[in-house]
Amino acid sequence: MSALQLLFRLPWLLLISILVLVLIGALALYSASEGSWSPWAERQLLRAAVGTVLLFLVAFIPTRWLYNWSYLGIVLIVLVLAALPFIGIGVGATRWITLGPFNFQPSEPAKLAVIVALSRYLSSQTPEQMQSILTYFPVLVFITVPFSLILIQPDLGTSFMLLIGGLAVVFVAGLPRRYVLAVILAFLAALPILWSQLYNYQKARILTFLNPDTDQLGTGYQIAQSKIALGSGGFFGKGFLMGSQSQLNYLPEKQTDFVFTMIGEEFGFIGNLAVLFTYFVILVSCLLVALRSRNRFGQLLCTGISVMLFLYVFVNIGMVTGLLPVVGAPLPLISYGGTAMLTVFIGLGLVVNVAIHQHLHDNDLL
Amino acid sequence: MKKRKEQKELSSIMTRRMLMVGAGQIILGASLVGRLYQLQISQTDNYRRLSERNQFDKRLIQAPRGRLLDVHDRLLAGNSEVFELRVLPSRVGDLNQWLRRVGKIVGLRPAEMKGILKTIADQPDFLEVTVRTNLTQRELSKLAVLSPVLEGVSFRKGFRRIYPQGWMTAHITGYVSPANKQDVKDNPELRYLPASRIGRSGLERTFEFNLRGAAGVERVEVNAKGKPVRVLRDQQASSGEDIKLSIDVSAQSFAAERLRRGKSKSVPLQNPDVQRALLNNAELRAHVTTGDSLVLQDERGRLVPPESGAATVLDIHTGEVKLLVSVPGYDPNLFSNRLSVQDWRRLNEHPRTPLLNRVTSGLYAPGSTFKMVVLAAALEAGVVSQRTKYDCTGGFEFGDSTFHCWNEKGHRYVDAVAALEQSCDVYFYQIALKTGINRIHNMAQRLGLGLPTGIGFSDEKVGIMPDRDWKMKSRGLAWTPGETVVAGIGQGFVLTTPLQLAVMTARIANRKYAVRPSLQAVTGRQDSIIFPPLDIAPEIIDVLHRGMRAVTNGSRGTARRYDLPQQGMAGKTGTVQVKRITKEQREKGIVDNIDRPWKERDHALFVAFAPYHRPKYAISLVVEHGGSGSSMAAPIARDILDHVLELDEREAV
Repeated sequence: MSALQLLFRLPWLLLISILVLVLIGALALYSASEGSWSPWAERQLLRAAVGTVLLFLVAFIPTRWLYNWSYLGIVLIVLVLAALPFIGIGVGATRWITLGPFNFQPSEPAKLAVIVALSRYLSSQTPEQMQSILTYFPVLVFITVPFSLILIQPDLGTSFMLLIGGLAVVFVAGLPRRYVLAVILAFLAALPILWSQLYNYQKARILTFLNPDTDQLGTGYQIAQSKIALGSGGFFGKGFLMGSQSQLNYLPEKQTDFVFTMIGEEFGFIGNLAVLFTYFVILVSCLLVALRSRNRFGQLLCTGISVMLFLYVFVNIGMVTGLLPVVGAPLPLISYGGTAMLTVFIGLGLVVNVAIHQHLHDNDLL
Repeated sequence: MKKRKEQKELSSIMTRRMLMVGAGQIILGASLVGRLYQLQISQTDNYRRLSERNQFDKRLIQAPRGRLLDVHDRLLAGNSEVFELRVLPSRVGDLNQWLRRVGKIVGLRPAEMKGILKTIADQPDFLEVTVRTNLTQRELSKLAVLSPVLEGVSFRKGFRRIYPQGWMTAHITGYVSPANKQDVKDNPELRYLPASRIGRSGLERTFEFNLRGAAGVERVEVNAKGKPVRVLRDQQASSGEDIKLSIDVSAQSFAAERLRRGKSKSVPLQNPDVQRALLNNAELRAHVTTGDSLVLQDERGRLVPPESGAATVLDIHTGEVKLLVSVPGYDPNLFSNRLSVQDWRRLNEHPRTPLLNRVTSGLYAPGSTFKMVVLAAALEAGVVSQRTKYDCTGGFEFGDSTFHCWNEKGHRYVDAVAALEQSCDVYFYQIALKTGINRIHNMAQRLGLGLPTGIGFSDEKVGIMPDRDWKMKSRGLAWTPGETVVAGIGQGFVLTTPLQLAVMTARIANRKYAVRPSLQAVTGRQDSIIFPPLDIAPEIIDVLHRGMRAVTNGSRGTARRYDLPQQGMAGKTGTVQVKRITKEQREKGIVDNIDRPWKERDHALFVAFAPYHRPKYAISLVVEHGGSGSSMAAPIARDILDHVLELDEREAV
């Protein structure tokens, strides 16, 4: 592959969009700390730089290597998740482990690991095997083990994003229609059982979401203030550093989960639309890479990653606009937070990898 | 072959499903855009308002109340700056605990805490409530140290209404007190001004709207913890209007002290006799506990409280009130904050009603000071001429009864001037009867009696100036001639206020115009004030003037010892019986005033104007139960007029 060919195959639109989001994120964090690069914006930019390096490292690994080492990720992650109750830290929920100076949240890369493992597994199945129910027992293991481990942390949001991301891969891989229906029915049947297993605060969040006026000072307060901030931003916003809700600290978690609200208050509907459009470009790019790829592994991987990214965006914005219950979900590439950001960079690196190697056929990977 | 076909089939299924996933993302993504449109475009006005409310505490700033100044710009009512502690209830979690904590520092009594909690409960929680005014430096610094942990606390510079002249001008200034529920109902803006004071009496009440000023508006940007970040001033508070009065504080205080002293001499409070008397004499005690340190010793050597009564001096050309004294007074400063129950009780149980403004609301029979009215009415009606004489034998037989002259021996033949000079009752019985009550009533009203003077006090009394209709309406009985006889000497039904008597005297002195009293200084040209014409023939006024002059100047004048030596004064004494003298008492000999219980002594009245040849001031003076108009009221009035004229002279130099 010549250098020119390589340049031509790089998904430039995707890369530029990533850069745009990183810059928007840096500005938002600059504003979140009342017009200062520290403590958030500068560290976020540093992480983005590290992330970019990781992205390209992942992008240039031969796809065959990836294919062969696909299960390593999920094995490692499951081990870490299982060990988390003993080595982890966290208030209320054990979600973090400490690696030297860094806090690391294994549930974030778990989503990616599940997608990679499922893509690998399903792409190696023959069309015949795809019809057989037996094929799906390993799938069940790949999804439910990390899902359960994350659910009991407890982290409802992440575990469900993992579940849905995994199911999306299975769906795209060609799960027979009857099984699709069965999964939907099983899911509906499981809801009441799941509800009874929820912690009180999780129930409270969902109840608050269903009836926001009941809790104006708890979870309802966050959402109420977030809606006020967004709504008062109007069409053009209040201006950079001028968001009164954010600057006067009415808005909680403005540097992490509620960063989109802050952008909306200061840059208005236009600003939010620009962010959404950039995500749209990234997601479409991922899907285009998937469609162009000649191998099922690449197709499933890109679709899965696109769904994973979409879920981040949808859950986060749905939450801050009051469409969904409050579940801690960051806005990819913009929210302050290392693990999610690096996970997204690695995921996008995989997409770029698939893009570069789109000509490979299924047989080339074996 | 089959395998290829299957692979192709799977590949197309995957492509379809990838597109489905993409379509699903677009649909869900579009719902986010729709949601943002809803929040940021459709409902943005609503959220903008909510954000504004979050961001700003709108506050009204108290405007300093306008001042009341005397004619030389001396302060009668003003403001002093104080620090107030306020709380914003919506920012406090546990109010009870908060209050206990603050109460420990500023010394709140349980009753006060209850009151504050009640105020908080009565209004929306985004309104500040004053916890304590008049913070001392010590309390201020203690609270300031604690303020980071005391939520919702704020300090405000407020104003306290002060009356530097105290009781001396209490009835002129009146007092203010905190706004109550009814005030807030009438003027909802007040609820945002927790420190508002409302004028309750006197000029504070009359000029409430001029004095109040317009509150300023400020928006305080607050962060989510309620801490102010910055202040935007939208509108400056504009202070109330200062009002310049015609009152002269030096004349006022001289008159007050002179009136209080009466004929007695003062005894120091430290005197052991006084201390002993205080234990036994409840009335004396009432005076001293309300903060009055003047104790007198009367002619009989008894320790008595100061005289009570009223005095007012009008400029007869402009109607300006030079002084307006009502004693005993009260300290209006007590009302500026919440009046303590104890102080309220003392004022209300005080035997001599210090809250009553005797000048405008004290009702007294005018007695002999009414004789000018009767004479003027008679002369105008033509029922007598100034030369007509009546023989006074000390009494006047009419119907079944005898109407006595104050001089039992009789004045013999007296004409109009002599009758005024000696205040011969018989003469006035006769001419009153001839004139008839309706004509007297008419003349009285023209001279300002029985009508509001328009001085502007809400509690001003109009008194009673009877005529036939009045009797019929109020008593349902026909007027009897005997009642006309009694009215002829200003007793019976007739009731006037000292201010009305001053107006009457001023109008007589003025000759031409029906002067009206005013407490506001007349600025600019004096001839810009136009009063309605008095419309009494100059000849009649001349007779009144000569008669009144004779009172102080004539050889038999009832106040002949109390003339103003240089400028000359014309006046009229009045001694008003408050208790009917029975026949037996008259036969036994009437007990001297000084030996009767205070409440049964006659009121001493005196009206006068001076200087005689170029009248400038009219005075009306009442010493309650003071004995006689001649010996008690006349000298006091003379001294006051003398002082006022002297002040004028000093100013002219």
